[in-house]
Amino acid sequence: MMRFKALLLFLIVLGCQPNKREIVVVEEVSLGVESSLPGNSTLSSYNFFKGELKNLEPMSGVVHYELNSPLFTDYAYKKRFIKFPENTAANFSADDVLDFPEGTVLIKNFYYPADFRKPDENIRILETRLLILENGTWQALPYIWNDAQTEAYLDISGKSIDIRWTHDDGTTKEVNYSVPNMNQCKGCHLRGDRVMPIGPTARQLNGSIRGQRQNQLEQLAALGLLHNLPPINTVARLVDYDNATEQLDLRARAWLEVNCAHCHRPDGPAKTSGLHLLADVKNPFELGVGKPPVAAGRGSGGLNYDIVPGKPDQSILYYRIKSDDPGVMMPELGKKLVHDEGVKLIEQWIRQMK
Amino acid sequence: MKKLQLGVLALVICSACTESSKEPIVWKSIEKDLQAQFILAQDGDVIELPEGNFMFTRTLSMDGKSNITICGKGMDKTILSWKNQTEGAQGMQISNGKNIVLEDFSVEDAKGDNLKVNDTDGIVLRRIRSVWADGPKTENGAYALYPVLCKNVLMEECIAMGSSDAGIYVGQSDSVIIRNNKAYWNVAGIESENSKWVEIYGNEAYDNTGGILVFDLPGLTTYGHSTKVFKNTIRSNNHKNFAQKGNIVASIPPGSGMMILATHDIEIYDNDFKDNTTVGIAIVSYELVAALNEGEQEREGSIGGVQTVNNRYQEDSLYNVYPYNVTVYSNRFKNKHWFPTTQNDIGKLLIMKSAFSPPDILFDGIADPKRAERNICIGDNGKITFINLDAGNDFKNLSKDVTSFSCK
Repeated sequence: MMRFKALLLFLIVLGCQPNKREIVVVEEVSLGVESSLPGNSTLSSYNFFKGELKNLEPMSGVVHYELNSPLFTDYAYKKRFIKFPENTAANFSADDVLDFPEGTVLIKNFYYPADFRKPDENIRILETRLLILENGTWQALPYIWNDAQTEAYLDISGKSIDIRWTHDDGTTKEVNYSVPNMNQCKGCHLRGDRVMPIGPTARQLNGSIRGQRQNQLEQLAALGLLHNLPPINTVARLVDYDNATEQLDLRARAWLEVNCAHCHRPDGPAKTSGLHLLADVKNPFELGVGKPPVAAGRGSGGLNYDIVPGKPDQSILYYRIKSDDPGVMMPELGKKLVHDEGVKLIEQWIRQMK
Repeated sequence: MKKLQLGVLALVICSACTESSKEPIVWKSIEKDLQAQFILAQDGDVIELPEGNFMFTRTLSMDGKSNITICGKGMDKTILSWKNQTEGAQGMQISNGKNIVLEDFSVEDAKGDNLKVNDTDGIVLRRIRSVWADGPKTENGAYALYPVLCKNVLMEECIAMGSSDAGIYVGQSDSVIIRNNKAYWNVAGIESENSKWVEIYGNEAYDNTGGILVFDLPGLTTYGHSTKVFKNTIRSNNHKNFAQKGNIVASIPPGSGMMILATHDIEIYDNDFKDNTTVGIAIVSYELVAALNEGEQEREGSIGGVQTVNNRYQEDSLYNVYPYNVTVYSNRFKNKHWFPTTQNDIGKLLIMKSAFSPPDILFDGIADPKRAERNICIGDNGKITFINLDAGNDFKNLSKDVTSFSCK
């Protein structure tokens, strides 16, 4: 009898979906299509690292580097390397990404320490993204690490991974971390119709690796891996937006450049919006000051201008960076959590604007 | 005791179930495989979407492909939904393509735009139904079908519903045909914006806020012109405006059949206009839209001197604020409404200035200081009501006389 009642209850639940729009179960099914994948299927096969893979100990010819101002991706830590083919070097470029030789691989590892206050312990690597320069074109390939941290496998359609850590302030944070699919990689890396690296510009490399002293550009030049480097005091520098001793304007512009300008630039995917956020943009209208939205839809939040000087709460730009609603938030990709520190920085910046 | 409980249970069953006769939809996920197929597609591939209801969490995207056909089993049979979307604002997105054909499926409920196509030469959207299934809401995405910065665009036999901006939209594009589609319950049913060589015909636009819009806006990558709008049915576009404020379509008065804004070389003929409560066709300059928005602002007492439209349009030196070379002939107008609506500024203005039925054709009459002869020509459209607002002179010489606009 009890069992009968349970069955009856079950039937009620099943039969009484009050709204046909309610989503009950999503079962994953295969389309049964097999295709050959681009690139190597495993990360280890590239021989970038020696010893245990998870230690990310570079082989010779693989150079560790850092950016002055890194992109925010849900607080993930990143460890970056460049692999130069033997006897090659990059050429200096003042404004853009360094001119890398054919065969260069940019390697970016995303990981979370279990406790951010001990960033070198209990590390879980989630993914490694490669940008490979082949026949003059860059190809973006995402590799996902196994739980045992012994190998990473090429996965072109991405994955979502639940991750939890103790944050700098001792609180527990968690996120459903998103490994992008290959097209999402392009979503940020497209310039016109070509995939391009974003990070390793002279301005981003013009600084030292944290905890070290030597300038990275000078170091690369000394290793013979960078040609035509002008005197370092003539090279432009993007400031570290986290560094409170730098000017507020420079920090805010650095944050906007690394988090927004890969799309919001005249040759980027968001060119249709007319909002351009590279750090060297001078025209306040292009930066969003007094600029109405073009096709923001509900992303406008009912507000009329991207930036209203002195009034962050009336600025669409501020509204969108502090949102985590996929239909509103900016940037559109690589973000499930709001970058509280960045949002605060932009708020201050708009507030003091006249 | 047990019997009683069962009785109560049975009662609950009966009362709870009377509302739903429909089976719950069984959603499946083909996201991983389908995205992989989109990424790996080779020149000339046909990607077939199976019959069924499929749920997506990310934008389903295709980039840089040529000669690809993506086809479902019919707009009622192959349903792709982004109701559970967690990242990427678009539902489906095609970019940097060449000769791409999409046909016979439905896209639903993306957080942003349902189906976006950008930087593509040769795009066909055929028998695609693109909707926000819960009906009109401000929270819905902006565009149902959204080709932008494209060349050689064909959209036909599609259905668009629920967009908080425009249902069937084309922007900043070149050589476009929009034919035999249906658009309803959108803010704008069909909109062509900053596009050139456009033909819009055989469509039905009904129950939107505005039926068909041909707009040219300042500050974009390119300007529009040369558009023909013919053989469309534009009826009862009286839906309340549910656009998110800050967007240009938020200033469309409900009851607008067709609006021609700040563009040129436009031909409008052989259309049926029916029961649009504010105006059949409005031919207006960007200045009027700007002025209307200022009124709105005063009324709401908004702070910070903000406006809903681009108040810096004068800074775009290449932009022409005034429509010219607009020809309107052989259209049929019918209106069961005796008076213009009082639900919006234009409607109230019309009542105040002259209490006749909603005008079939309205011209804002704002003079272009650089172009005296604007070539606004109203041919034979049967017996129509016409109004020239003379909005530039505070409606001083408001006139219903159409003869000075007759075609030469």
